[in-house]
Amino acid sequence: MEPFSTTEPEVGTGRDGYDSPSPDNIVILAQDLWKTYDMEAISVNALSGVSFSIVRGEYVAIMGPSGSGKSTLMNLIGCLDTPTSGQYWLNGRLVSELTDDELAYIRNKEIGFVFQTFNLLARASALHNVELPLIYNGTPPAERLERAEEVLRKVDLGDRMDHRPNELSGGQRQRVAVARALINNPSIILADEPTGNLDSATGDEIMNLFERLHQSGNTIVLVTHEHDIAARAHRIIHIRDGKIDRDEKVG
Amino acid sequence: METSMTGKASVGPARRRHGELYNAWVTAREAFWIAMEALNTHKLRSFLTLLGVVIATTTLIVVMSVINGMNLYIAEHIANLGVNTFILSQYKWAQGYEAYLKARRLNRPIRMEDYKFLKEQLVGYKTMGATAEYGGRTAHYQNQEIYDTSVVGVTPSMIDIGQQKVDYGRYISESDFTHSAPVCFIGTDLVNKFFPNVDPLGKEVRVSNQSFRVIGVAEKIGTTFGQSQDNFVMIPLTTFQQYFFNRPELNISIQAWSAAQMIPLEDEVRMLMRVRRHVQYNQDDTFGINASETIMSLWQRLTGTIFAVTIGVVAVFMVVGGIVIMNIMLASVTDRTHEIGIRKSLGARRRDILTQFIIESAVMAGTGGVVGILLALLINIPVQKFVTSSVPPSAIVVGVGLSVLVGLFFGIYPANKAARLDPIEALRAE
Ligand SMILES: Nc1ncnc2c1ncn2[C@@H]1O[C@H](COP(=O)(O)OP(=O)(O)OP(=O)(O)O)[C@@H](O)[C@H]1O
Ligand SMILES: [Mg+2]
Repeated sequence: MEPFSTTEPEVGTGRDGYDSPSPDNIVILAQDLWKTYDMEAISVNALSGVSFSIVRGEYVAIMGPSGSGKSTLMNLIGCLDTPTSGQYWLNGRLVSELTDDELAYIRNKEIGFVFQTFNLLARASALHNVELPLIYNGTPPAERLERAEEVLRKVDLGDRMDHRPNELSGGQRQRVAVARALINNPSIILADEPTGNLDSATGDEIMNLFERLHQSGNTIVLVTHEHDIAARAHRIIHIRDGKIDRDEKVG
Repeated sequence: METSMTGKASVGPARRRHGELYNAWVTAREAFWIAMEALNTHKLRSFLTLLGVVIATTTLIVVMSVINGMNLYIAEHIANLGVNTFILSQYKWAQGYEAYLKARRLNRPIRMEDYKFLKEQLVGYKTMGATAEYGGRTAHYQNQEIYDTSVVGVTPSMIDIGQQKVDYGRYISESDFTHSAPVCFIGTDLVNKFFPNVDPLGKEVRVSNQSFRVIGVAEKIGTTFGQSQDNFVMIPLTTFQQYFFNRPELNISIQAWSAAQMIPLEDEVRMLMRVRRHVQYNQDDTFGINASETIMSLWQRLTGTIFAVTIGVVAVFMVVGGIVIMNIMLASVTDRTHEIGIRKSLGARRRDILTQFIIESAVMAGTGGVVGILLALLINIPVQKFVTSSVPPSAIVVGVGLSVLVGLFFGIYPANKAARLDPIEALRAE
């Protein structure tokens, strides 16, 4: 199936200097994504036919009530999970056809993922957690440390590098997770409620960080419940019951 | 923060910044430290896990050390009958029990007449000497005594054969021999006991109420199987006949000119003795001809058996140890499913996870090997008091190498299980 010959899903129009959607600049293209969890008695449709596309350099917020399928969608976009049905193209390549190693490479270098539940290594220091992605592309130890320290300082954790996750506050853990997502300079940043545990000041700092990343050309997709956070994006996708409810441009 | 400009992912083989080999090295090193940390956090569990490998390695090293030490010892002391020398005695050494029982009935002792006969008849040898031994004596000097001393009657030529060396003084001379002189050449045990600060030469040592004047002291030989080889009083064979046994049973040492001459000379002696004793062509020798090879071959047969048993025991322990390690690794994979999920979500490939767990398993087993070697070295200290034992460097290499191999092999299954985990499924595990 030719990816771009089918009915184009609605995409962001070329405002704010962004290119209009074309096969060349679409980074993320989702078509009729379904995710069904088969429980013993019932089966849950976490996603029921989601289609959208995101162009390079876009800044998208995903909003929706709890349990609406936001994290499920993020996992699919982040190449961590596979849809029950539907197609997903990343950078023009059908993800279901990628090999295991290619997926690993994408997770390592192309995408920086901030998990809703952080997913930090409990036994490792903040520094080691942050340098982890660099291990899997063979970065030498000295450079790993240098870059991990640098990015930890950016999230204002320069004085907490040797702390383990259980020695950090929820907000500090969240910032470690953000730092880890940024360490490999990924072109796509996927953040599942990256400010959920932060006070507004610290949350603002993280958002400013994302703002700068966006300005230097990165594509950002973030999940949030807060309207003022979402307002900093240029597009908000509203999800309800596993379907796209509304897809609006803002800013 | 400086970011890479966006662009299409160039998903291809040559996409990583460094060579594949360098990447493997970085992840392997990481895996090594993860393994060390895992071992360190679960010290007791690790120790119990590694018990099998530890025991296997210790057993292997201890046995290898003892055999190695004995090999050196046997070659140096026991098998050293003298250079290119064989011994004619009543029995052939190191034969089976059946053969020995038969020989008990048929073989006759070697006597003085046999010695004289051979001296007259045998040609082409380098040296010939005879000894007669009277063991388990008690030697006295003034009010001191030493037990379990051997009185050995010797011909003066025995010094040329080279089992003993003169430390100081002199050996039994031709003149001592012809005059049945009451003189003796003593081992260092007697010197240490009787003459710690005194010159022993000229002193009178008594054995079985006979007095012998010390004329020389032998160089120290050492112990064999815990038995001192330096507790002897050597006297002229003629004196021995006069004071102890008129018709002593002899061992005759015959030295050839070269190693190549050994076999022909042995055959010559065998033929002469058979003729002399009228042994039928279809009958066995009624005497024994023994060379160093006889002892060495007995020893090698024995060590071969010991070694085969050891290999069996070590293999069983290693397999058991390996299975325990495999179990612990499987448990570890289950325990750390979430960690594996995190690593995979951050770009670890199957082979990275596979490497991590295989290395962990190998490091674990290798640590068991190292502990086993240390334990073996420790055990070796008291063992050395009883038998000669020396840890050969090869044993250390073999011990660690074998353990690591066991770890590698038994790590494959758990590591493969870990590597195949689905990232999102793994992340959900808590
Ligand atoms: N592994 C799973 N097994 C079964 N059901 C699941 C699983 N994961 C998610 N679900 C269900 O799928 C639906 C969507 O879940 P998801 O985590 O995507 O929600 P969300 O929008 O991220 O919610 P929140 O804002 O609370 O994080 C939920 O009803 C959830 O119960
Ligand atoms: Mg969620």
